[in-house]
Amino acid sequence: MAGIFVFAENAGFTRELLSAGRNLADNLGTRLVAFASGAGPAREFIECGADEVLVLPSLAPDQPTEAYVPVLAEAAKSENPDVFLIGGTARGKEIASRLSVKLETGLCSGCTSMSLEGGRLKMVRLVYGGAGIQTVECSSGVQMATIAPRTFEPAVSKAGRQGKITQLATQPQSAVRVVGRSPKQRESVDITEAKIVVCVGRGVEKPEDISLIRELAAALGGEVACSRPIAEELRWMPEDLYLGISGKKVKPVLYIGVGVSGQIQHVTGIRDSKVIFAINRDENAPIFEAADYGIVGDLYQVVPALIQELKAALKA
Amino acid sequence: MLKILACFKWVIDDADIKVDAASKKLILNHVGYKISDYDRNAIEEAVRLQEQHGGTVEAMTVAPPTAKACLKDALSRGPDAAYFINDPCYSDLAPAQTTSVLAAAIGTDIEYDLIICGEGSGDLYAQQVGPALAEMLGIPCVTCVNKLSYVDGEITADRKLEDGIETVAVKLPALVTILPDINTARIPSLKQVLGAAKKPVHNLGPDKLGAVCDCRLRTIGILAATMDRKQQKFAADTDGIRAAVATLIKEGVIA
Amino acid sequence: MSEDKFTAIIVGAGPAGSTAAYLLAREGHEVLLIEKGAAPGAKNMFGGRMYSHALNRIIPDFWEEAPVERPVVREIITFLAGDRSTSIHSQDVEWAKPPYHSFTLLRAEFDAWLASKAEEAGAMVACNICVDDLLHENGRVIGIRAGEDEMFADVVIAADGVNSILAQKAGLAKMFSAHQVATGVKQIIELPEDVISQRFGVEAGSGVAQLFVGDCTRGMQGGAFLYTNRRSISLGLVINAGELQKNQVRVPDLIEDFKANPAIAPLIEGGTVAEYSAHLIPEAGLSMMPEVFGDGILVAGDAAGFVLNLGYVVRGMDFAIASGEAAAKTVIAAKAGGDFSKGTLSSYRDLLEESFVLRDLEAYRRSHRFTENRRLYKTYPAFVTSFASCLFTVDGSPPAHLLGKVLNHIRKSRLSLTGLAIDGWKGARWL
Repeated sequence: MAGIFVFAENAGFTRELLSAGRNLADNLGTRLVAFASGAGPAREFIECGADEVLVLPSLAPDQPTEAYVPVLAEAAKSENPDVFLIGGTARGKEIASRLSVKLETGLCSGCTSMSLEGGRLKMVRLVYGGAGIQTVECSSGVQMATIAPRTFEPAVSKAGRQGKITQLATQPQSAVRVVGRSPKQRESVDITEAKIVVCVGRGVEKPEDISLIRELAAALGGEVACSRPIAEELRWMPEDLYLGISGKKVKPVLYIGVGVSGQIQHVTGIRDSKVIFAINRDENAPIFEAADYGIVGDLYQVVPALIQELKAALKA
Repeated sequence: MLKILACFKWVIDDADIKVDAASKKLILNHVGYKISDYDRNAIEEAVRLQEQHGGTVEAMTVAPPTAKACLKDALSRGPDAAYFINDPCYSDLAPAQTTSVLAAAIGTDIEYDLIICGEGSGDLYAQQVGPALAEMLGIPCVTCVNKLSYVDGEITADRKLEDGIETVAVKLPALVTILPDINTARIPSLKQVLGAAKKPVHNLGPDKLGAVCDCRLRTIGILAATMDRKQQKFAADTDGIRAAVATLIKEGVIA
Repeated sequence: MSEDKFTAIIVGAGPAGSTAAYLLAREGHEVLLIEKGAAPGAKNMFGGRMYSHALNRIIPDFWEEAPVERPVVREIITFLAGDRSTSIHSQDVEWAKPPYHSFTLLRAEFDAWLASKAEEAGAMVACNICVDDLLHENGRVIGIRAGEDEMFADVVIAADGVNSILAQKAGLAKMFSAHQVATGVKQIIELPEDVISQRFGVEAGSGVAQLFVGDCTRGMQGGAFLYTNRRSISLGLVINAGELQKNQVRVPDLIEDFKANPAIAPLIEGGTVAEYSAHLIPEAGLSMMPEVFGDGILVAGDAAGFVLNLGYVVRGMDFAIASGEAAAKTVIAAKAGGDFSKGTLSSYRDLLEESFVLRDLEAYRRSHRFTENRRLYKTYPAFVTSFASCLFTVDGSPPAHLLGKVLNHIRKSRLSLTGLAIDGWKGARWL
């Protein structure tokens, strides 16, 4: 039957995959099929370009989202899509991996971009913490990929689009039971939206000193983020704010790394910044190779001086 | 008796990777290797559960024979024994292949109640082998675990997901993939390093496990990710900082 | 004691430690070799060249299996002053034939190999372990403590490098002063193999060792070095640490200036800096040498200050290896008699004195009085280079014989004939 299948944990993410999927479907001359959690999202997906939506049966309160694996597998086995794109949330990655076994096919995890060549997908992903770019091709049947959020723009909905909505009958199943949920306290700031980001690195010696960095951010009208050790190891700042390959990826107009050494895993999270500025007292720090501008010096002297100069210059 | 398998991968230390900017190639000929970071936590978690509940911990890896040094490292971290599934053909395997080799090995009558893997490996970070292995073995899987406990044949785990913590429970046998914040991996002490040499290592290879399956995901190439930045420096004195600010204003990034 | 006791615990898997471990293990003794780095050699660094004689006695024809770079076929001494440089090249094709007088090598690979020989011979090797303290009983060293683990041995061999904590803890050594050590900094600059051979005018596979004196150290005591590896050049500076401190000079600036010097720049053109490293080097020889033996303890290698820098010849690895050999022999003999007291272990010192280690350090013990002479680093390089330059200049100016030229230059360089003669005499006697 073929087709392009897309599945994501939530509607917003599905709409991003729909725009990528629509593109592929048009190029391959095949239909775009999305999975939805209910009738409402199903109609939304049709309007966003899906030719067909398969509605997943609802989950029992103690069933994790991964209980959908048998349902998705059965749908894929019977329809035999050309491509199956899955939203790369944590749950999505597990689902994709397990599906790849059930469908006996290869899976490109964390696909950052893809192109069609001779009817097959060439997919690109990062390796070695972001130091390498790997191009892969699926040599088996269904071409599967997980895609990170915000890789594609969400599809725009067009009222009046028509499509087929089918309720799936297979029951979700999981031996794993959910016994509790504790929703995350969202940070008030979405660091990925900030135009100017000032990043706290290991060169900052005490958590109290972060206020100095905040002052700098305030002088610039920017937001404060951090490198992974500051959040995950030292726990001086929330995880929501760490930048890097396993954290947030930002594309600000200006990124300033303060006492950030610039390991490849961190740089991968900031590489799309328009201007990268680094302050570090070690002139051999890798950040300087990844930066447009740098100051080799003691941040405890450079940052106050910088704040002063900014206040003077920006007042004028 | 709780039997735990901890899977680990011997990976290139990415701090040693160099780049040839001209050809955009990664230079990998002088790299050191290490146990993938998350896998250290996986081994550590297995050993902690053993310290609390008794039982056995065995470490397991798929690697070319040249990776032998990984055994001393893994065993110095606490496991009682190691499975060294090794052969020259086990170099640069795709996730699907690693999974099927592990499944075949475990299928040769290796007993287990719990399999602990890292959430992803330091080199490819495909995050596939854990859940895929569970699927092949027909056991349940819990991923992204940052807290794990065991009571009477059942594990309870906190999963750290985008929307918060999801606490789940499942009866053993099961497989979990763990996140590095689950514990701090120990630095092996001298006695632990010396003790490693005395622990048993079981070798397995294609003669017992069969040929490696198709990769299913073919690598066409790997290029270095390069960044073309100005690399311009300013002095750390007043003049330098003034010049830096002026440049940023001129670039239009601050106003 | 429990069966967990070793004949020797050797701290530091550098050339001294690994040699001792290899020889002891080969004789069937229980040996533990402990290294604080992730791998042997990880924390080691040197200029770039090892003289083969010491290792060849222990592992004959070692070059057939050891990771060595190029056998050195040409030795060069260069004086640098301003726009001028004057060099003396000396080539001997025999040096590039077995038994290969000396090799350039890279320590990470070489030290790892030497430690692996010890492991193959039966030594237990433990890396990533920092030894915190010695264990004593009744005034005798009976083992070491690493973290919370205590391990016991008949003898501890402290081969833990230039700032030997263990030699200090054993009361054998004092903390050195800045003037007693030099700071060595080095860059490894990568270039294709054939480019190196061509630029240095040597046959494929042969190498060059070059030492510099003059501008490279801006008047401070020390010099620069250049060694050709197979596919890279080891380039660096060695400067007395006390003088660096006093003059508040930034070593990275010195290295960049040195690389830009017209005598160097064309040699490294187009190369990529692959590595930076820095290390302390014991400089003061016998005057900083600790007691090298005690009850249950021996000190070997850099930890014992076994380094000889004569300006035209720099030796560390051969001393380390030979002292490791002497330590092993001492332990083997002591084990046979079951006595590891200071008296018995004093035979270590005897062995060192019989070998080139103390014999050479003794012979050259006055070299420091010469190498501390300021004139070596500014005045004499200026004199040599300007004299040589004048020697080769043909521009129509009035003629002069060699003697006249020399005397003229001596005067111009504000040297006195007597002073020059005295310095020359001292150099000839003490170096």
